[in-house]
Amino acid sequence: MTVNLENLRELLLRVEKPSRYTGGEFGAPALGQSAFDFCMCFPDLYEVGMSNLGIKIVAESILARGYTADFCFTPYKDFGSGLKELGVPLYSLGLKKPLYEFDMLGFSMQFELSYTNMLYMLDLAGIPLLRKDRKNGKYPLIAIGGPCAVNPEPIADFVDMVFIGDGETVDADVADIYVRHGGATKEFFEKITKLDGVYVPELSNKVRKALVKDLDGAIFPERFTVPNCESVHDRAVIEVMRGCYRGCRFCQAGFIYRPVRPRSVQTLTKQACSLIANTGYDEVSLNSLSTGDYPALRELIKNLKNDLPNGVTLALPSLRVDSFDGEFAQDARRVSLTFAPEAGTQRLRDVINKDVTEEDIIKAAESAFDIGYSAVKLYFMLGLPTETNEDLEGIGRICSIIRYCYKKKKRNKPLRISVSCSTFIPKPFTPFQWERQANAEEIKAKQEKLIDSLRGKGVTLNWSDGFTAKLEAVLARGDRKLSKVIKLAYINGCIFDGWEKELNKDGWEKAFNESGISPDEYTREREENEKLPWDFIDIGVTKEFLLSERRKAYKGTVTGSCQNSCKGCGLQKHCSAAGGTR
Amino acid sequence: MILFRHTKTDGAEYLSHLDLLRHIDRTLKRAGITVKTSGGFHPHPKIFMNNPLGLGIKSVAEYCAIETDFGGDFKKAFNENSPNGVKCLDFKTSEEDPNFAHTIERCGYSAEWDAPFDTEKFLTRNRIIVTDKRGRTVDIRPRIYSLEFKNDTLLFTLGCGENNLRPDLFCEILQHESGGKASNITKISAHGKHTF
Repeated sequence: MTVNLENLRELLLRVEKPSRYTGGEFGAPALGQSAFDFCMCFPDLYEVGMSNLGIKIVAESILARGYTADFCFTPYKDFGSGLKELGVPLYSLGLKKPLYEFDMLGFSMQFELSYTNMLYMLDLAGIPLLRKDRKNGKYPLIAIGGPCAVNPEPIADFVDMVFIGDGETVDADVADIYVRHGGATKEFFEKITKLDGVYVPELSNKVRKALVKDLDGAIFPERFTVPNCESVHDRAVIEVMRGCYRGCRFCQAGFIYRPVRPRSVQTLTKQACSLIANTGYDEVSLNSLSTGDYPALRELIKNLKNDLPNGVTLALPSLRVDSFDGEFAQDARRVSLTFAPEAGTQRLRDVINKDVTEEDIIKAAESAFDIGYSAVKLYFMLGLPTETNEDLEGIGRICSIIRYCYKKKKRNKPLRISVSCSTFIPKPFTPFQWERQANAEEIKAKQEKLIDSLRGKGVTLNWSDGFTAKLEAVLARGDRKLSKVIKLAYINGCIFDGWEKELNKDGWEKAFNESGISPDEYTREREENEKLPWDFIDIGVTKEFLLSERRKAYKGTVTGSCQNSCKGCGLQKHCSAAGGTR
Repeated sequence: MILFRHTKTDGAEYLSHLDLLRHIDRTLKRAGITVKTSGGFHPHPKIFMNNPLGLGIKSVAEYCAIETDFGGDFKKAFNENSPNGVKCLDFKTSEEDPNFAHTIERCGYSAEWDAPFDTEKFLTRNRIIVTDKRGRTVDIRPRIYSLEFKNDTLLFTLGCGENNLRPDLFCEILQHESGGKASNITKISAHGKHTF
C-alpha cells in the first residue's frame, strides 16, 4: 500500500510547512522494493533530521548493498493528529509506504528527550510500542542507534535491537544476515548477537561497540537529499575526523567516539567537491568534535578554497578557544563568535579537563575582534562537580574581561555578549558518570546567583529549565525500569520533550508517580563499586581509565590532549595518536 | 536574460515562495548555469520570479527570469537538476527585463467542481462584495475576467499583481454561494506583456 498525497490535501493545507511531509526532494534516491526494506527514522522534525549526517551515512550503507533505505521524521502535532483523524498510518517520505510494511525501522537517538517521539512515531504507524506486544504480528524490527544507544536500557523494552558505535558497516551486515535467513528468525538473532555493535535486549549479555578502523575508506554519501524546506543546517557537511583528542570529563562524545580517526585531506576535498556539485549548496561545514585539532587543518582549508567553486564558504562550527585562528574564520560572516569555556574559573576548568586558560580566551577574543567580530556567545555549564559560588562569579568576570578587550581599541559597533548556561548532566561512559546531579533547588539557587553576578554587565543570559535537565539526567543513566515511565509519559501526552514550549512536566511527574519510581533515585551519586546499567557495553575506554580521570578531577589535575602523549584510555591498539603516527 | 516557464506540481505546490526560490537557485548551480549576482556586501543571484502562488495551488504557468550568459540547452540542463514538480516547460532569451511580478496582469486557473454551476447568472452581477482576511470589504467583480463550467471543471481568469484575487479564495466564495466544492486548483496560464 502507498499513501496518496492527494488524499491528504486538505490536511497538508492546514498544517505548518506541508513540504515536510511530501518527499520528492532533489537528490533523494530512487527507491523500489528490495530484499530488505529499511526506513531510517528520526525522532524529531524534518528540518532537524535533514541536517543530521549520521542517518545519511547509515542509509547510504544500506543502499550500497542494493537494499532500500527510506526516511521518516517525526511529524509535528498538527500533522500527526491529522493523520490519526483520517486513519492514515505514518508513512515514509520516498515510497510513501506505511512504516509497518518495512522490514526494519532504525531510529537515530541523538538525545534522551526524544524517546517519547520514537513512541509517537510507532503509535502513528500503528505499531505496538512494546516488543512483547509485537510478537504475534508481522511488524518491522525496531532498532535504535546513535549516541543514546550507549545506554539503551531505558528504552530496551521498546526495541528489538540496538546498534552501538559506528554505523558504517554493521547495519548493512545485519541486513545481509536478515536476507540470508529469510527474516527475523531465531538463527538471525543468534547470528547478529555475534557481531560487534549489535545488542539484542532479549539475548545479549555483553556487547562491544562497532568500530570503523579506516574512516578514510569508509562509506560516505556523495550526494545529499536537498530538503524541501530550509533545514536547521542547510549546507554540505564533511566529517573531518571522528573522536576528540581532548577528553573533557563531562563530555560523552569525547569518550564514546574514541579513538580519534582523521580523514585525509584528499578524501575530504573530494567529498566536499562532489557534495557541492550534487546539491547546489553554497556552504561546506567542516564537522568534528573539535575541528581546530584536525592535524592538517591549514592544508585542508587551502585545498578546499582551491578546489571548490567560487562563492562557496567554509564553516568551522567546533573551534576550541585555544585553536581559534583569525585565518580560519576569514570566510564566515564575521558577526558572532561562539566560545565554550564551560566553567568560570581556572580551578573548575581544570577539574573538567577543559584545558583552556583565561589567556587563551582573551587571545581568541582579541583576534576575533580585530577581524571584525562584534558579538560573542559563551557557553557555560552550571552544577559541575565541586562547583562553588566563586566559579559562578567567574562567569561574570570572563564577560568583563572580554568587554575590556573590546574597548581597548576603537570599534564601529557595540559589543554584544550572550551567555548560555546549561545544566550539568552526568552521562554514561564519562569520568563523571558516578556524579550526582544538583537538585532543582540547588540549580535554582545557582541560576539566581549567576543572574545576580551578571546584572549590569550588559550580558544576555540564557539558561535551561531545571526540570528538563533533570529528566535528561534520569533517562541518560536509567535502567530498564524506566521503559514503563517513558510509556506512561507518552500516554500522558508527552512528546517533543526537548522543546521548552512543548515540555509537559505534569505528564512526566504523573508517570513517575503512577509507576512508583522516584527520579531522585537516578540523579544521586553512584558508588564506584556499584553495577551500572550500561556496564555490559564495552565502549573501548576502560572503567579504570574513567575512574582515574575522576580522581584527577577531584585533584584538579589536567590530563590534556592525546596529541601530546597517550593517556592509555584503552583504545591504544586502534589509535593513530597512540601509535605515534603523528 | 533567460525567461522560462515552469511547473509547480507533484508535491512542489506545497513549497513556499522562498523555498522555491532557494530550489531554483540550487538547481541552476547544480546545472552549472551561472547567474549574475547583484553587487554590494551581500550579493544575491539575479533570479526574478512571478508573484507568489498560494500554498497548495498547482501551476503549469510559473514564470521566472534569470540574468545569465548561459548558451546551452537550458530546458534540459534545468530539468536534469531540478526537484520533483519544478520542471521547465519552455524558455526564451530576452534583452529586456520582463519583470513578471509586475507585468503579469491576469492568470487562468482550472478547478474540479463537484456540483452544477450557473456561471452566467454569477457573471451577470455587477458587484460581488466580500470581506477579506483583514476585515475590509472589497468588490471582487472587476477582478474576475472569465468563468466557464465544462465537464465538471471550472475555468476562470482572475486578476494578478495589484489587482490580485487568490484562486483558492475565489473558489471559497463560489462554494459559499452555490454549495459545490472545488478541488485540484491549478494555474494554467498567465497573461502579460512578456508571457509566452
